[in-house]
Amino acid sequence: MAIPLYYNWRNLLARRLSTILTLVVVAVIIVVLCTLLSFAAGIRASLVATGSSINVIVLKPGATAESTSIIQPEESIRLAQTPDVARDAAGNLLMSTEVCVQTDIPRKGQGGASANVALRGVDDVAFAVHPEVHITEGRNFRQGMLEVIVGKAACARFAGLNLGAEVSLGRHGQRQYQVVGIFEAKGGALESEIWAPRTMLCDSYQRRMASSVCLRMSDAASAPAAIEYINGPTVQLDGKLETKYYDDLASKTRDIVVLTTVLVGIMAVGAVFAVANTMYSSVDGRRREIAMLRAIGFSRSAIVLALVTESLLLSSIAWACGLGACTLVMPLIGQRQDFLSDQTWTVLAYELRLTPMIIVAALALAVIVGATGAVAPALRAARLDVLEALRKA
Amino acid sequence: MKLRLLYLARNLTRNPLRSGLTCAAVALPIIIFVLSAGVIDGIEHFLDNSSRQLRLAVTQKASISNPLPSGLRPKMESLDPTRQGLRSVCGMRWLGGKIENDQRVLSTVAVDADTFPATFPEHLQSAEELAAWQRDRQAIVVGRNAASQFGWKVGDRITIRPSVPPYAPIEFHIVSTAPNPDADPLTLLCRLDYVEEEVKKFGVPVDIVHFFFVKCGSKADLEHYRAAIDKFFANSPDETLTQDEKAFMNQFITQQFNLPRNLSILAAVTVFVAVMAAMNTMSMSFRDRLSEFATLKAMGFGGGVVFLMVQFESLLLCGTGGLAGALAPYVAFTYTPLAHITVPVIQALNIRPLVCFQAVGISLLVGLVAALWPSWAAARMRVVDAFRALE
Repeated sequence: MAIPLYYNWRNLLARRLSTILTLVVVAVIIVVLCTLLSFAAGIRASLVATGSSINVIVLKPGATAESTSIIQPEESIRLAQTPDVARDAAGNLLMSTEVCVQTDIPRKGQGGASANVALRGVDDVAFAVHPEVHITEGRNFRQGMLEVIVGKAACARFAGLNLGAEVSLGRHGQRQYQVVGIFEAKGGALESEIWAPRTMLCDSYQRRMASSVCLRMSDAASAPAAIEYINGPTVQLDGKLETKYYDDLASKTRDIVVLTTVLVGIMAVGAVFAVANTMYSSVDGRRREIAMLRAIGFSRSAIVLALVTESLLLSSIAWACGLGACTLVMPLIGQRQDFLSDQTWTVLAYELRLTPMIIVAALALAVIVGATGAVAPALRAARLDVLEALRKA
Repeated sequence: MKLRLLYLARNLTRNPLRSGLTCAAVALPIIIFVLSAGVIDGIEHFLDNSSRQLRLAVTQKASISNPLPSGLRPKMESLDPTRQGLRSVCGMRWLGGKIENDQRVLSTVAVDADTFPATFPEHLQSAEELAAWQRDRQAIVVGRNAASQFGWKVGDRITIRPSVPPYAPIEFHIVSTAPNPDADPLTLLCRLDYVEEEVKKFGVPVDIVHFFFVKCGSKADLEHYRAAIDKFFANSPDETLTQDEKAFMNQFITQQFNLPRNLSILAAVTVFVAVMAAMNTMSMSFRDRLSEFATLKAMGFGGGVVFLMVQFESLLLCGTGGLAGALAPYVAFTYTPLAHITVPVIQALNIRPLVCFQAVGISLLVGLVAALWPSWAAARMRVVDAFRALE
């Protein structure tokens, strides 16, 4: 027969200070775990949401990102022959030639330190190739005008990109573009960008070369053949699935996950010791009580179970408190963050995210810490010599 | 006195399990504190060195990614023909790059070969290195951390595939691994004249650079030319943005997850955890020994003695934990293979003894704070009440 849960609960309340202090230790570790992982999750969510598996992005061979790739007009023309590229209703190829440049824009707050924001010059076909991009406020830009549309994340993170504002762009910052719209792209990386008419941007930046070409295939199955054609001798460019391209950029998040594992691992071992300490003292403090329980017929395993349950109860309360604290801590660090990719040299603005995965990982950590910390004290309690303990005052 | 010390020692060893667990619970957060403080310290050391070098970084005004014509260099030099205030100007073209079959990204920069030694005196300090740099067009200076990461040494030939057009591999010859602790440990510096020869074959434009570094004579000159250079190029086709080297470097560091700030928060949190863990033990041990304290006071020991005793016990416990926590990462990152591990932004983590001393100091502080309430309660406790409270 098991010892009722009520007993555990009353025990935790009996030693309030110890319980609260241990709870805080475990909760803080949960906060650190969740916060660090939410960085990784924010970046990953943003990059994973970007790109479509029926889009093929074409770069110059050797270039690691759009921003360092240069495609000459004669090279992009060769891409028109790629097999199975989709067409729109009017019969136009869904092939978007894009130019990627960068501009310094100060962040909101933080003393206005500036960040390298990506600027993408596109033709109208780009909106058919990237159908996830849609205007939520204002209107789209018109070709031939000094107008831009701004991604939602960029608008939230960087200063002076509100609807109707003017931004100085161009090789010398000499052209005043007006922000005429705000766009969303399913929370993806494109939302960190500013989009402008390609011809105007090329003119302002005094360049005629494109950076990349994006092709929308008629179906996902035809992508491998198209990529083979693009990488082959006829075109000699570097094509890959758009999803793969953004997945490669997300490799940075692996560093954060490794770092988090190491840091939180060390802290968790510390927490195990703290929990063990509390449980040992709790066992020592009620030797007679435990002996009494054994005397009235509870088995050794019931005692072990009861103590582990007590510790698990403590750590799951700590888990809940930690998650609660985490939602308070995040706005303190700044819910909106950005990071400079060392591959594209442009910033990705993202939001810290507490995903279900992270919540489950935190629960797992709490359970492991609680259980490991309680096992040794519980075994000691179970081995207790009943007569000895009852006799001793 | 001897008796008191003995009593103290007995108290700590009476429950070795509890003492051990507390030590460990303090030591582990201190390890994290030392690691984060080590990274912050490394970044600060790097930035301090940048500001000591009295250099300005000149970039294109609109964006660092827009190149500037190399012709700006003689124009800047003309600002001070005496070369007293403005010592030298060195143009730099960013190449980035990777080596074959390796995902790790390099930071390679091609520099003006003639003014590089004067602008960056912390590099090429030995006569042989300097001679090799001037003689060999394929010369490249490899930061010491990059060298240890890739296993390169002086005399090696390496092939780098730049991240910028034409992306064609270029072969270099290592002449130095930047042994001076002030020298940039990460960047690879090669000769611009050689790189231009190589990229010219592919029709890629030459005579452009991404930034200039300007070495100044004094702090006053630095301030003067920071404004003077931008003013000189104002309203020209190539407007510039001039910053001191520290500000220039700092913008890259803050964009990498704002590491200094976020790590400080982490360090503070871990110290907080240590305080909580130690406080827990001290309060438990106080509760267990309530009758003992009452006896001591009944025998005539003053409140001060009891107060100090609890405090000392806590200090000793946390100090030991802190010492262990500070020594472990110091030894690990100085004497074991971990010394070569890559750390974001600063790449190699050198934990200086100063950081360890700080950590021990903080752990003593943790002990002090943790014992504050128990020792106060023990000192103030009324003997009669304490005895009565016992069964």
